[in-house]
Amino acid sequence: MSKKESGNKLNGRDLINIGIYTAIYFVIAMALAMTGLIPIFLILLSSMIGIVGGIPFMLFLTKVKKPGMILIMSTIMGILMFVTGMTWMPIPFSVVTGLIAELVYRGGNYKSMRSAILTAGIFPLWSCGNYLPLFLQREQYFADRTSYGQEYVDSVMNLTPVWMFFVLLAATFVCGIIGGLLGKALLKKHFERAGIA
Amino acid sequence: MSEETWTPSKKKSLLDPRTKLLLIFVEAVLVLATTGGERLFWFRIVFAVLPFLLLLSAKRYKICIIGLAVLCTIFLLEYTVFPYAHGLSASMLVLVITIINRFLPAYLTGVYVIRTTKVSEFKAAMEKLHMPDVLTIPMCVMFRFFPTIREENEAIRAAMKMRGIRFGGGKVGKMLEYRIVPMITCAAKIGEELSAAALTRGLGKYKKRTNICHIGFGWADIVIFLLVAATVLYWILGVFA
Repeated sequence: MSKKESGNKLNGRDLINIGIYTAIYFVIAMALAMTGLIPIFLILLSSMIGIVGGIPFMLFLTKVKKPGMILIMSTIMGILMFVTGMTWMPIPFSVVTGLIAELVYRGGNYKSMRSAILTAGIFPLWSCGNYLPLFLQREQYFADRTSYGQEYVDSVMNLTPVWMFFVLLAATFVCGIIGGLLGKALLKKHFERAGIA
Repeated sequence: MSEETWTPSKKKSLLDPRTKLLLIFVEAVLVLATTGGERLFWFRIVFAVLPFLLLLSAKRYKICIIGLAVLCTIFLLEYTVFPYAHGLSASMLVLVITIINRFLPAYLTGVYVIRTTKVSEFKAAMEKLHMPDVLTIPMCVMFRFFPTIREENEAIRAAMKMRGIRFGGGKVGKMLEYRIVPMITCAAKIGEELSAAALTRGLGKYKKRTNICHIGFGWADIVIFLLVAATVLYWILGVFA
């Protein structure tokens, strides 16, 4: 940009970048969510989003120079989850995880690669918000899903005791970091060469 | 704002963008998340039929016919094949039937809204709802961007198929890299152009933008509002009864 960036306020270009990368991220997440019909994949979903989503997210982080961008992306993901039928719980959850991710990346002054990878680990935690109804409103969740077939309900039920939520958080975090490293490698291999990172 | 302003196109869509948002909202809560359970069954049917009518009103016959065909297939499966299925195949069948029954109305509503709402109209509606710019601009860009991603994805899929990189092509591991990376590259490039275009439309300034789109509520909006109000009222009565 030839013009001097005006302070820390987000301008149109930043907002458009958020839109573009959120769109890519959302499409990838939805493609993965289609596999969630198989019970075991439902549980692995957030981890898979961490790994695969890490690629566009790392590229997104190279565009993030001002506070607020990660938070906005996370909030929009939460709203989209609500629209796609995951109840209201993902919205506050994704705001909180987005805020944490934002603060971590801010700690690295929006350029340190190490905090970028850590951020890539924290950011996909928003997808765990989708599981909240599964744990907090257990009865209702399964009552709604009896029509999926008893076998589906049973296998999901067996896979998800309450402590599982924390395991999921941890697994998503680890997978997010793997995704971040993967994204970093691809950034080097492809995007820097193409001149877009 | 009392005088009639020039509208860019004569063909105004039936519903106000705000009503469309409300519809998406209701479809998400009522049909997708099946709030309210059995009590709201008939309302759910109404809201499942609604997207078809809306698509007809917007003259999107093709998607409407495809939707109907899918629905008919599902009903046929449910009433002819399902009673004879056992064990695993039965539960798989139930899964497919439920998922499609549940997702189809919401999906069709989504298609209707995206196809009939211009980005400017969406922006105008959001401004009237006093949503902050930092949320609406990225969302506008997203709506504008989904069709692009789809197009690019198709092209990349075709190109990679030639190299044998597809499901069942023996190179599944490579799919991740060779499908996602080109897509992101394309998207980033297109995004650069898109930001340049948007900046010329004044999205880069903090000043309040003017909008040429004239949005307002009509009779169809009122019908939808009454329908939604009736649903909510009936639901609340059910909760306290």
